[in-house]
Amino acid sequence: MADQATTNADQLAKDDRKTGIGVVATHTAIFLALMGLWELAARGGLLDPLFFPLPSDIVVSFYRLYITQANIWWHLGMTMTEVAVGFVAGSALGIGLALIVGMFDRVRRYLKPYIVILEATPRIAIGPIVIAAFGFGWTSKTVIVMLVCFFAPFVNTLNGMASVDDEELAMMRSMRASRWQTFTKLMLPDALPEIMAGLRLAMASALGGALVAEFISANEGIGVLLAQYTGTLNMASAFVCVFTLTGLGYLIFRSMEALDRYIVFWTDRDRTEVMGRVRAAKWKGLVKEAYA
Amino acid sequence: MSANTTTASTSGRAGFPAMCFAMAAAKHLSVLAVIIIVWEGASALGWIDTILLPTPTEIGRGIVDLYVTNRQIYGHFLITFYEAFAGFLIGAGVGIAIAVGSALSRRFRRYVSPYAVILNVTPGLALTPIIIAWFGFGYSSKIALGAIVSFFPVFVNALIGLTRIDPEMDEMFQSLGATRLQCFFKLQIPEALPLIFAGFKIAITTALVGAVVSEFSQGTAGIGVLMQRFAFSLDMGSAIAALLSMSLLGLLLFTIIELCDVQVVFWRREARRNEVSRRRQQRWAHLLKEKN
Repeated sequence: MADQATTNADQLAKDDRKTGIGVVATHTAIFLALMGLWELAARGGLLDPLFFPLPSDIVVSFYRLYITQANIWWHLGMTMTEVAVGFVAGSALGIGLALIVGMFDRVRRYLKPYIVILEATPRIAIGPIVIAAFGFGWTSKTVIVMLVCFFAPFVNTLNGMASVDDEELAMMRSMRASRWQTFTKLMLPDALPEIMAGLRLAMASALGGALVAEFISANEGIGVLLAQYTGTLNMASAFVCVFTLTGLGYLIFRSMEALDRYIVFWTDRDRTEVMGRVRAAKWKGLVKEAYA
Repeated sequence: MSANTTTASTSGRAGFPAMCFAMAAAKHLSVLAVIIIVWEGASALGWIDTILLPTPTEIGRGIVDLYVTNRQIYGHFLITFYEAFAGFLIGAGVGIAIAVGSALSRRFRRYVSPYAVILNVTPGLALTPIIIAWFGFGYSSKIALGAIVSFFPVFVNALIGLTRIDPEMDEMFQSLGATRLQCFFKLQIPEALPLIFAGFKIAITTALVGAVVSEFSQGTAGIGVLMQRFAFSLDMGSAIAALLSMSLLGLLLFTIIELCDVQVVFWRREARRNEVSRRRQQRWAHLLKEKN
């Protein structure tokens, strides 16, 4: 269900990417017109610039935060490290545990009710507890990101392992595949699309998790910067932080998409053909030998 | 854990369904009991840091305290429920409205969807401080954040559902001379409804997350505030009890959507479909008679 959302978001992004230069130009024109309108409204006193910063102010703040003061880099680096470490650790733990659990049918059945409860719990809600346990520093944020990133890969891997076709399993058995072969050649490839979907969900929530953890309490990180700027009603700088996060989110989205296409190549028809050709070329010698 | 599950393996597949259910429930409960005993024992022996993870008895005490002795949870529960549900309603309403607009007009879609995608890649929770600065410390900021984070799943699912129509169906409608309006109400909407409800199910949980996170950030009432208060005074048993209430709230919200789903999208479920078609047959019986 949630996987449906990621693929749908993909689809939408893909549909919208099929655009020419003319469309881009109109979009830019509309965007600039909107910004101009905003600027005028704010200068004319329709919008309170204290809460709705002028676009020109935002641009100036961009320059200040990135170049003159250059204070955003440190915080950005901090947040990205939290996200990266937490994501790798959390998803590795989730997938690993699910692979082990998935091999045992019965364990899976008994875990099910707990998984339902965990699914319903807002994961970020564990935040205050983790912070109380691990302190205000970098560790607690990484642990929160880890927890946020744990569940989606775990649940998706379990589901993927459970949905293996019975006939295919029978086929593997009748060809005397060992347990390990059944696992690597059938169960894992079968589960991979779902595992990847889980990873993408995890990655999508990782950034949010890190930010929320920083909002709750921290001394460094882009969430702290953002909270400080809004706290002092320096909205233009706060918006710079938000737009930075948008850029970061977009980068993450695109790179996960690329990774998805690279690993689970067989769900996309074009990619399947490409990979098929590559592999055919690689195995050509083997085929010839076999027929010789 | 796995050792325990193997002992409780006698499967009561035959017999009455009620018996089966009782057996399954008993097995699950016995597993739960064993986990709790092991957990309690490990804490007593000092293997688990009780600040990190309180003992089950402490959590039980927290639950009793919150629900029976002090009864402070109910008010906060209702407040968070209200915030999350109102946020969901607004977000989902806007999402559907924009999706319908985009489905009906290509141009509208082309100019709106880039902003929707931008909103999607921005972690919505990052907007928490800004939203609080805009809407204040009361309920409205929580509702606004819930609306922002629940907008996208609904929008994307509704848009995909409305636009991905089976071309043969569309042709059928065209050849029967259906007007554009008929096409929309009789073909596109019914086709989209299952997906829209899938979007609702994602959105309602994210709306809860939004409400809780902004309660963490700034708030005076709600489960999030309650939980943070407990966690920061290191009363972990009560904090976990509050967390469990959050799961309960999540399940409740999810169930509401699920029930609506069963009511509205009756044709996807065998039993409901038969029931509805029987009712409609009775209602339309006289029409058939007149005709014959």
